[in-house]
Amino acid sequence: MLDGQSCTLQPDVPTERKWSIRLSIRRRLVQFIMLGLLGQWSFYGIFRCPFLVPYISCRNCPVITCHGRIVSMFWGFWLLLPVSALLFGRAFCGWGCPGGLISQLFGKLAPVKLRARNFITRWAPSGKYLGLAAALYIYYILGQPRADVPIRIGEFFQSVLLTFEHASPSWLIRTIFVLGCLAGGLVVANVWCRFACPGGGLLEPARRHSLFKFYKTSICNNCNQCLDICEMGTRPNEVNCTNCGDCQGVCPSGAIVFGRKK
Amino acid sequence: MENNPESDGRRAFLKSAIVGAAGVALPIGIARAKTFSRDSLQVWSCGGLAEAFIPANTRYEQKNGIKISYTGAFAAALGKSLLGSATTEVFGGRVLDLAKKLKSSGKMVYFKPLCFTSYVMVTPIANPAGIEELGDMARPGVRVVLAPDASPPGGQAALNLLKKAGILDSATKNCVSSGSCVQRIMADIISDKGDVSIVELRLTRLPAFAGKTHIVPIPEQFFPPPPLTFTIGVMKDAADRTLADDYLQFITSEEGQAFFDAAGFIPAISDKGKELIEKLGVKDA
Repeated sequence: MLDGQSCTLQPDVPTERKWSIRLSIRRRLVQFIMLGLLGQWSFYGIFRCPFLVPYISCRNCPVITCHGRIVSMFWGFWLLLPVSALLFGRAFCGWGCPGGLISQLFGKLAPVKLRARNFITRWAPSGKYLGLAAALYIYYILGQPRADVPIRIGEFFQSVLLTFEHASPSWLIRTIFVLGCLAGGLVVANVWCRFACPGGGLLEPARRHSLFKFYKTSICNNCNQCLDICEMGTRPNEVNCTNCGDCQGVCPSGAIVFGRKK
Repeated sequence: MENNPESDGRRAFLKSAIVGAAGVALPIGIARAKTFSRDSLQVWSCGGLAEAFIPANTRYEQKNGIKISYTGAFAAALGKSLLGSATTEVFGGRVLDLAKKLKSSGKMVYFKPLCFTSYVMVTPIANPAGIEELGDMARPGVRVVLAPDASPPGGQAALNLLKKAGILDSATKNCVSSGSCVQRIMADIISDKGDVSIVELRLTRLPAFAGKTHIVPIPEQFFPPPPLTFTIGVMKDAADRTLADDYLQFITSEEGQAFFDAAGFIPAISDKGKELIEKLGVKDA
């Protein structure tokens, strides 16, 4: 009976796997398109934004070449992000964030994937909330101070060098922390996205309540093959799931589906 | 074959017409670029001048076929870098002392007066507090917006101006927003979070703020002198001195200065500018 049951599921699995591979390819394509759209803004946020919390004070920023200021993507981004969160939870992290793409590509090279269920993987994701709390504190309590000399316009590398040269210690600490975490992704997969990104901390609650998501059905046997392939070291609809869909095709029992979880 | 003077004249006329037309058709820049040994020039300036330098540089590039690599940022920071190991070919800085320091250290060859800034009060378009003169900032209940922590001279200049007017304490008591960015002052005033602030006139000309505030002039006697002056100078690292000189010549010409006028500065070649040159002693001694 059991054999018969698994036989009835089996024919669907390769189809699911093909679909999942196609989805993964599409996701990478979307990520690269988003890198083209948001990449400059993303880069400026880390390397040239004079504010401690980047991406939110663009309308008052003196850096006149930054895309967050000169094109209307600022409003587009901050209006569409909640919509995307409501619909698909942390999908932006897995499909749209340029930092996420870099982090995931680094993660491919990382020798430590940190996917095992242990004390670290259980508690380290809370680091995102610390990052979010720090960002909120800087913005609301400290009044989002300008912590660097804005290089309003200038050549690419020279502007970055000047920005670092004239930065305050607080700006240097935040930038070195972010870059350190991103670089740390070469050793431990996706350190930044999984354990430190304040944006991830902001979107994580939406993951739980989003309308559409990848999730495990009752036929899941906890084989954890989904965990073994996940770039974020998680399982569908669990902490840090970005609805990337990479897991769906590897599930031997076809227990991972996408849709509205009732 | 007999020479026909009339046809020779016609031929000569046609020849010169064709040569002339070709000359006009040639991009002016390409023709001019040949007179310089380099085809690019590195220009640094005070970030506040960026709105004037960007179109001025574009015009110079169109005219001469020279690529201007432009960096605009807080002048004191750029000056500090230049006094250290950084290099550029032309530097347009704020504060006369900085130009003098660069020159005395041998980093700058010479400088000229470029333009001057001026200060105004800004209120929301409807001017709800009825601000008419500087003293109104001291009136109880008037919501004053300041940015004392903005990069100098920024908000500090406004405080010096209030001090000079003898209303620093009372105006500061009215302060409802004390920030670190002069551009945020404009946003606060536009969104009616404050009744009045003091900013440089140039800020009111920025595309994001133009026409969105009511401007009340401030008498010149209250302006703090140091931040008023902008100079432009050729640096010792100018790879093509002729090109750097030519650029300076353009920026300080009537055509170049028009961009500074449009961006809210007082051009050095204007009558007011000439008066300020004398008054503030903007001379490359």
